[in-house]
Parts: sequence; C-alpha cells; structure tokens
Amino acid sequence: MKDNRKNKKDISNPWLEAWDRLKKNKLGRMGLILVGILITTAILAPIIAPYSFKEQNILKRYQPPSRQHLLGTDELGRDILSRIIYGARISLQIGLISISISLLVGVTLGLIAGYYGGIWDMVIMRFMDIMLAFPAILLAIAIVAILGPQLQNAMIAISIVNVPRFARLIRSSTLSVKNSDYINAARGIGSNDLRIILYHVLPNSMAPLVVQTTLSIATAILEAAALSFLGLGAQPPTPEWGAMLSDARSSLQMAPWVAAFPGLAIMFGVLGFNLLGDGLRDALDPKMINI
Amino acid sequence: MRNCNFKAILLIMVLMTVLISIPGLAQDKYGGTLVFGRGGDSVNLDPINATDGESFKVTLQVYDTLVQHKPGTTEVIPALARKWDVSDDGKTWTFYLREDAYFHDGNPVNAEAVKWNFDRWRLEDNPYHKGGSFAYYPYIFQGFPGVIKEVNVVDDYTVKFILNEPQAPFLRNLAIVAFGIASPEAVEKWGEDYFKHPVGSGPFKFVEWRKDDRIILEANEDYWNGRPYLDKVILRSIPDSSARYMELQAGAIDMMNQVNPENVKSIQDNEELKLLIRPSMNVAYLAMNFAFEPFDNVKIRRAFSHAINKQELIDAFYVDLAEPAKLPLPPSVWAYNDKIKDYEYNPEKAKELLAEAGYPDGFEFDLYYMPVPRPYMPKPKLIAQTLQYYLSQVGIKANLVTYDWSTYLDKLSNKEAETFIIGWIGDNGDPDNFLFPLLDKTNSENNYKSEELHKVLVAAQTELNTEKRKELYYKAQEIIHEDAPFVPLVHSTDPLALKNKVMNYIPNPTITETFHKVWLQNK
Repeated sequence: MKDNRKNKKDISNPWLEAWDRLKKNKLGRMGLILVGILITTAILAPIIAPYSFKEQNILKRYQPPSRQHLLGTDELGRDILSRIIYGARISLQIGLISISISLLVGVTLGLIAGYYGGIWDMVIMRFMDIMLAFPAILLAIAIVAILGPQLQNAMIAISIVNVPRFARLIRSSTLSVKNSDYINAARGIGSNDLRIILYHVLPNSMAPLVVQTTLSIATAILEAAALSFLGLGAQPPTPEWGAMLSDARSSLQMAPWVAAFPGLAIMFGVLGFNLLGDGLRDALDPKMINI
Repeated sequence: MRNCNFKAILLIMVLMTVLISIPGLAQDKYGGTLVFGRGGDSVNLDPINATDGESFKVTLQVYDTLVQHKPGTTEVIPALARKWDVSDDGKTWTFYLREDAYFHDGNPVNAEAVKWNFDRWRLEDNPYHKGGSFAYYPYIFQGFPGVIKEVNVVDDYTVKFILNEPQAPFLRNLAIVAFGIASPEAVEKWGEDYFKHPVGSGPFKFVEWRKDDRIILEANEDYWNGRPYLDKVILRSIPDSSARYMELQAGAIDMMNQVNPENVKSIQDNEELKLLIRPSMNVAYLAMNFAFEPFDNVKIRRAFSHAINKQELIDAFYVDLAEPAKLPLPPSVWAYNDKIKDYEYNPEKAKELLAEAGYPDGFEFDLYYMPVPRPYMPKPKLIAQTLQYYLSQVGIKANLVTYDWSTYLDKLSNKEAETFIIGWIGDNGDPDNFLFPLLDKTNSENNYKSEELHKVLVAAQTELNTEKRKELYYKAQEIIHEDAPFVPLVHSTDPLALKNKVMNYIPNPTITETFHKVWLQNK
C-alpha cells in the first residue's frame, strides 16, 4: 500500500502539476480569483443582489452612490449594483455558450483539415482564412445585422467569428503529430480514424486548447459588450454590461458613476480571464517545468 | 426703480431705432451659414412621400405650397396663390397664382404645373405616381383620388379645384407642407430617384444629401418673396441629444431642436445661448395593432391605459414641458373634448381587466420604439423601457424592438408592428388633421377600423358650420375614448436652443418654419 502511493506520486499527473504551477504564479492566481468571484456572483445573483435588476423608480433617476444604492442608480432609477451582479450572469453565459459552440465547430473542422489533409484541408482552411481576413467585430456586426439584434444572435455571431482561431490551432497540432510513431502504431493495431483522432490526436492538443478557450472567453465577453454597446446585442431590460455602458453614455457629464461601474465590471471580467489564460499557458507548457 | 427701468427701456428703444435705420446694418443681415442640429436624418425629400418631421424640415425650405401659415401660427396666408375664391356650396375653389415664381430649374410655377402635381398625387394610374406610398394624400383627402374630383387649368395662372363634396378644412389642408409643388420636369427626369433630388420653388435650393450626416441647402437668389438672408443652411443629424447639446456648446452647430428637458435650465443660465419654446400641438401615443391577438379585445387595450402612469413619465422625462394626454387631440386644438375623463392610473384595475379578458397571467408581445428623439418624445428608449416596466407590473411582458428611422416608419405604415410608440404633430391646427390621418379606418396604422367613427369623421369634414363640426368631433372623441385604440401619452413642448447670433427664428406649432427670414448677427 505504502509503496503504491509513493509510486503514484512519483509518476504524477501532468494536470495536477500544472495546477500546482498555476497556484504559484502570482498573476495566474489573481486571474483565478477574479474568475472565481465572477462565477460565484453569477451563481448567487438572486441571493446577493439587493434589488431586482429590472425594478425601476423613475422618480429616483441618477442617484449618486449612497447607503441605499451602493453604486447609485441609473437613467431609469434602477440599482446599478444589482444590475452589475445580474450582468455577471449574462456575460458569463455569453462567454461560455458562444465559446463552447466555436470550440465544437472549430475543433471538428481543424481535426478534419489537419488529419485528412488534401482537398479538405484546402477548402476548410481557405474558408477560415477568409473569415480571419475580416476584423472580428465587423464580421460580428454583419452577422447580427443579418440575424436581427438579439442577445442569442450576438452569441451566434461571436461563436462564428471565433471558429477560425480554434480550427487553426487544432489543425497545426494535428499536423505535428499525424505522422508520429504512436499514431502509426495505433493505426498498425487496427484503430479506425475516429478512434485515433479522439484518443491520440485530440488529447495531444489539450493544453493549448485550454489556454485558447480561456483567452477566447475574455474576448467573447468584450465582443458581446461591444455589440450590446452598439445596440446589436442584449435588448432592454437585460442588464448586459455593454448595454448599460451605452445607455449611460448620454449622462456622462451629469452622472459619471452610471457609466463607470459597468465599465469597471467589464474590465475586471476580461482581465480575470486573460490573466487566467496567461497563467494556464505558463503552467501547461512542459518546457516551463524546471523554472 | 420703476422709473429707472422705464428710462432704460426707452433708451434701448431709441438706440434700436437708430441702429435699424442705419442702412449699412440692415445690409449686414445677408450672408452666413446656419448649422442646424437635429435628432434624425430625413427619410424622403419628395414631400408627398414623406410623413416625418425630419423630412418636412427640409422639404419646406425647398418647396412652396399654394397657401402657407403665418409664422408662429396656423393662420392661412397667401403663398404661390396670391388670392382665391370659393363657390357658395364649397365645392369649387379657384386659385390665382403669382406670376413671378420659378422652380429652381428655371421653369415657371404655373397652373399647368399645379395641376400636374395634384394629378400625380391623386391618380393612382398617373405615370409619375410612384416612388412612395403618397401617404399624405389619403390622410387628408380620403383616399385616391379622394374628395378632389377635378383640377382644371383656367388660364396660365389660374387653377380651379372641383370637389366631390365640400371639405371644411380644404384651404388649411393646402398649406400642409406635404403638398409642396414640385417641378414636373425634375420628377419626370429622376423618376423613382426624385426623392433624392428635390426641385421646388422655395427659398432654398437643395445642394447635397449625405445620408445620416447632413443635408446642405443654399439660398435661392431669385425667390419670389425675396432672397433669404442666409447663404447656406446645413442640417446635421446628431441623434444623441446630449451629444447635440455638447456640439452646440462647442460651437459646431448654431441651433438645435429636441433639447433634453434636463438641459433647459443650463441653457437659460448660459449667456451665449437662448431658449425658444415651441407652441405645443402634438401628441405622443402607444398604439396597439388590432390585427394581433389579443389587441382586438377592448379590455386589453383599456388595461394598457390603466397600467401606465403618465404623470410619472412626465415628471421623469419631460420635466415641466408636457402634460398628460387623454385624447389624441391636444388641448390647443379647438374641438378638444375636455368633458372626457381619462382612464386613471390603476394597476389593480388593469389586472382585473386582463383577467376578465382571459389573460390573468398576462402575455408577451413586441413593443416598437423610435430610434431617434422626436419633438413629442425626447427619449423614446427610456420611455419604452418605462412602459415595459409598467406593463410588467401588471404581468404583461413587452419585448422592445427598434429599427433605423426610415425602416421604423415603413414597418408602421405596413401595419407590421404589434404595438408601437409614435406621435403626431398637427399640420394645420384643424381637428381633422389629427383624427382622420391617425384613426380613420382608411389610414389607421394599427388596423383600427370603426365604421361609426368613419361616418362621423367624414360628416365633420363635409360640414361647413363650425359649431356643428365641433359637436361631431366631440362625438368622435367619445368613440375613440371608448374603443381605446391607443394610449395617448403626452402633449409635449419642444424646446429649441440657439446661439445668441441666430435672429428672427419663430417656432411654429406645426414645426414647419422656414429659414427664409432668419439671419445671423456678427457673422
């Protein structure tokens, strides 16, 4: 028994090692904390928010921060703190859902392109190049303009513009392992393509994928805020941070806090995911082990 | 003290008389460019195909109508027609045109041109009856060809209108800016694109239209009523009212309309700016489309009326510059029926009505709101959100929907919107001009089709006796109140802010003032 346990520790799980390294990385830890706060806030929103996000009192518009309204009230007399707390839910939803979709589509396309090569590679990757040629936000605006301004459509648009990044990433790591010995060995013992892809090629790309996903969530939150700011994303009264910022713009001179707090919320949300992504990159890079 | 003031006033008056009488100074009125900041761009510069104030603001500079309003009032004075006669039965109108009016392309404005325009508007098989829906014609004249039976050229400068039946506000209707006389040659040349290349005979010529940015006009040197003082007018669209106000403070624009009510005080305190209040003759309302369930049910429509707190809307968004509306007619119009009592704000009653109508748990629907501020509604988005909130308090869920301004108007006139907020600004001060375009079965954008109301409104149009017309309009307003086809929200007052140097700008209740006599001091 004792020997066994000792053995296990020696062999060591690479993910646990990465976790240890992440915890030691100062910035990564900060990112982890910020993301943790964001997730907790999102989950506990109805419990911790002092008011409902849509409760409004138009006779109490633009109240500065006070004990009653810790962050003040907005242009419709709604409690800004409560709206930011509920907004965490929306932003997190956008990040997770839209990136999951692009992950799924992008990884599939990347694997097909990389593994089969030839005409598949040609068609898929040239198409991805075309999409990358457009600035992401412009492409997203165009897609929303076609689908109609709604939060779901903004999420679809964001997932579409993020597909090429995942496809490229996966394709290149697939190419690098496609002809390695263990793949040939797997093929030798009769594994079919699906099995090889799922059990041998994909796990090999896990580390960069995790990093890319985390960073993409940050971008997605930012892009959704931008779309909502332009009136193409969340529609009222959804407490989306970008939409809140946009509505507060007209009162910037008179009531700066209405714009400041959602802006800070976006900043910390995006910062959290970015720091976490960078931390993960360092932690998951095997070359960093000895540092 | 009193004495002192009197002396000061006397001194100023003397000084002013002296100043005015110096010929050099009078000459100085000429020249300069006026930059006007407004909340939205024009939609269509062919006046008959426009329905919105932002289009009319431009077309009325470019076009003349047969008769016009005296500045600041709805009184009718001559324009292209220098005088007119009407037969005793009210069915034959003869207009004598002035002989010195020319279109900007050099063609004379004669009887032939007037007939050509009216035929284009009223006859659906006219080859030039295209490029839009010609909405204003049926609004005013009951469909195509409507009450105007014939338009005849008597001689070069005399034109005769023969009506099927008398129309009480006929003369006032001809002053409506939508009936600006266009150059036939230009319409023939541009066809469906004419709305981008307007040619009229008005005080300003059209120069350029940069969509969603600006429209540039220049003085018509040969205007029959004298060259305008200004050389050039630029109308810029700046949808955000606070951004527009900042541009005014920065000096990028010389004047603006649709001032945020919150900014009124700071304009009054600012020594470089002055504030003008336009006489109010408008209504903002929330309409419910009868083609969508459950809005065909009067209980639902009344429930909406009970669910909305109009006074609170005004306190929050209009400051003091509005009053709650109970009817589509504003109190400034002479047939306003003050005896009608509004549906009071009472959410409990709204809930009861919903339950009675079979919707105790509410329902979900689309609420369209305008993308640009309007004189009757400075902040459509905030007001829409507030309406959404009021309705949510009685259990109804409104999804807010908006489009760009011209698409928005299209959706409304295609009757596609389930519920929508919009407003109406009176064109000529006649009650017919509110009730017939908005609520008659032939025009209603929310599919309100009341035969009873139609009969009353048509009877009121043909009745020439003012007292009897008043009774008919009282009756019409009772029907409208009972049916509650829309929730009248407010009658607002539109504040304008001007730089001190902008002189002689007289706001008109119909919002149709020209820049003809406006001049700039210390250019």
